[in-house]
Amino acid sequence: MTGIADSARTSASAALLDIRDLHVNVAGQQVLRGISLAIGAGEVHAIMGPNGSGKSTLAHVLAGRPGYEIISGSVSFDGRDLLALAPEQRARAGLFLGFQYPVEIPGVNNAYLLKAALNAARRERSLAELDAFEFLAMVRAKIKLMQIDESFLSRGVNEGFSGGEKKRNEILQMLVLEPKLALLDETDSGLDIDALKVVANGINTLRGAQHAIVLVTHYQRMLDYVVPDFVHVLARGRIVRSGDRTLALELEKRGYDWVSGQAAA
Amino acid sequence: MVASMLPAAAQPRSATLERILGDYQAVASSLPDAPLTHDARLHAMRELTRIGWPKASDEHWRYTNLRAFEAVTAFGPAALVRASGAAPAPVPLPVPELPPMLPGFERLVYVDGVRYPAAASAAAGRNATDWPAEQRFGLLCEMFASDAATLSVRGSAAIEVLFLTSAAAAGAACYPRLHVTLEPGSELQLVERHLGAPDAPTLVCANIEVELGRGSQLVHYRLQQCGLQTAFADTLCARLADESSYSVRQVAIGAASARTSARVRLAGRGAALSWQAIAVGRGQQVHDTALKVEHLAAGTRTEEVFRGIADERARIAFSGHIHIAASAPGSDTRQSLRGLIEAPGAEVDLRPRLEINTDEVKAQHGATTGALDENLMFYLLARGIDRDSARALLKWAFLGDVLRAIGLPEVRRAAEHGAAGQLPDVMAIGALT
Repeated sequence: MTGIADSARTSASAALLDIRDLHVNVAGQQVLRGISLAIGAGEVHAIMGPNGSGKSTLAHVLAGRPGYEIISGSVSFDGRDLLALAPEQRARAGLFLGFQYPVEIPGVNNAYLLKAALNAARRERSLAELDAFEFLAMVRAKIKLMQIDESFLSRGVNEGFSGGEKKRNEILQMLVLEPKLALLDETDSGLDIDALKVVANGINTLRGAQHAIVLVTHYQRMLDYVVPDFVHVLARGRIVRSGDRTLALELEKRGYDWVSGQAAA
Repeated sequence: MVASMLPAAAQPRSATLERILGDYQAVASSLPDAPLTHDARLHAMRELTRIGWPKASDEHWRYTNLRAFEAVTAFGPAALVRASGAAPAPVPLPVPELPPMLPGFERLVYVDGVRYPAAASAAAGRNATDWPAEQRFGLLCEMFASDAATLSVRGSAAIEVLFLTSAAAAGAACYPRLHVTLEPGSELQLVERHLGAPDAPTLVCANIEVELGRGSQLVHYRLQQCGLQTAFADTLCARLADESSYSVRQVAIGAASARTSARVRLAGRGAALSWQAIAVGRGQQVHDTALKVEHLAAGTRTEEVFRGIADERARIAFSGHIHIAASAPGSDTRQSLRGLIEAPGAEVDLRPRLEINTDEVKAQHGATTGALDENLMFYLLARGIDRDSARALLKWAFLGDVLRAIGLPEVRRAAEHGAAGQLPDVMAIGALT
């Protein structure tokens, strides 16, 4: 294991998410080249990097998206072999992927999806399913927090939503599901400053001892509002530097060439 | 008598055509002079004889399950067959259970093609309509129909026409007819529904003729929910005058084999057609639609949406032919045909065809057939929805474009329940709320 990878580890004795030497190919090309990262409950990590560095690939591999070939390595999540689980099992186990480009599903309304997703997660935790009344009461407060009009519940999933509305909807789903680990893939992209604050406020609401958050982002501006405990820089499929929040500020000043150049050296 | 009136056969007649002619001869003298004159019936018979019974090798009929139609044992109208050649006999009670009334709608009921309860027909005998070869089932209905729902609307109206096939029609044929005329500036909401599940192979062969006056508006909901022993054919011809609009919302879910042969002529400047249809087949059902739209005047518009799902060994076909004549500059057409194949033995055939003979035309068309979108599937899986439920949800969403375009809540509900009834997994997840 490299020193860089070691430095990416947290001090958590039993990490919620423990990625070890993960190598992944896409269409025969190696995209992740030995990622090791441990994330403890209650921690907020930011994964930054230039375009094509493998940030989104990492998020999608963890969520179980088809089309990625795991060459080697392991990932444990809450004590389970994450890579052995189907995507829906990962979600029910408490892993949430906030999509960079949330899809539109006309014909499936938001309320139906939220309720079905929530009840699937509750069944997994041996909790009673919420009935329509309980669900509505719970979701209303979260809708308000995300400054979404209540009429959206009866609309198709992301149907006709602006980019910002889609991202707010992603965070709403996260708040409803209360995952153990939220992987937010460029949730800040395409947001104006007001929407960014709303989204950041939603993310901070989840923050707590029971939940870990991973912000995958290209820019550091989101980190002004959701302050990470750890920052990792990904370049060419490897974590090339890890540090605290100041690393993101330094990247902002010096650009990705600074760390990419070091990685290539 | 009939044989002597037939043109010399250019080629050997098929056995089916021979049976049709024989059955016609048996009942011809008992057929009423309305809704068609005897001359019109004879004309139709001659035309069918000249054109011949369709073959699977004909381009327009290659996806139709002709065998189902050929399996019909008696082409004579059920109401006449029951009366042994006397005047059409009313159906024995009880008629199939009727769906609830639609609020604000007048209802007309036809059982086995005849008004129920019996009422004097206001329709005078009509002259023959010339049905082209791809609509030749229309000729069959011209030959045998013994009643018609004739709607002439001036002002505004809402009418539901129920065509029921009774158990008594089993093994015979029914010929529903619907004539719709809208005076200039008039509006009609029309629900046309075909129901009934006889327990032996039965032919339901319907003709629908629509004439829209200048500036009139027709919203036409069409629900085909016949039983699985039915071979169903509907032949529709519509002509639209200036600035008139015709919205069709069609749901085809019933029958062993169904064939829709439709032709819409946008004859007046600015006339507009919106045709949105779904077909859902399972088992060995076949649903075949051939829609031809002719843009004949300037500034005419067509929106055509089709969504078809074929499961098990079902076959769904949709041919959308849009012809823009040289006399129709400024036409605007949008065509979106999509099919979903749910099982290795199922088949969906979509045939968009655009024929443009003028400049200044806007035309968008797309046709895709395949499986569910993997991106959508992953999104649902990533929310913890199990794979089977995700599939069911996406299938439901696939039909959503058309189902949501059904403006009348009661009709939309009936359409949704009918469609979901064809999709057991959709029913299982309770997507209908």
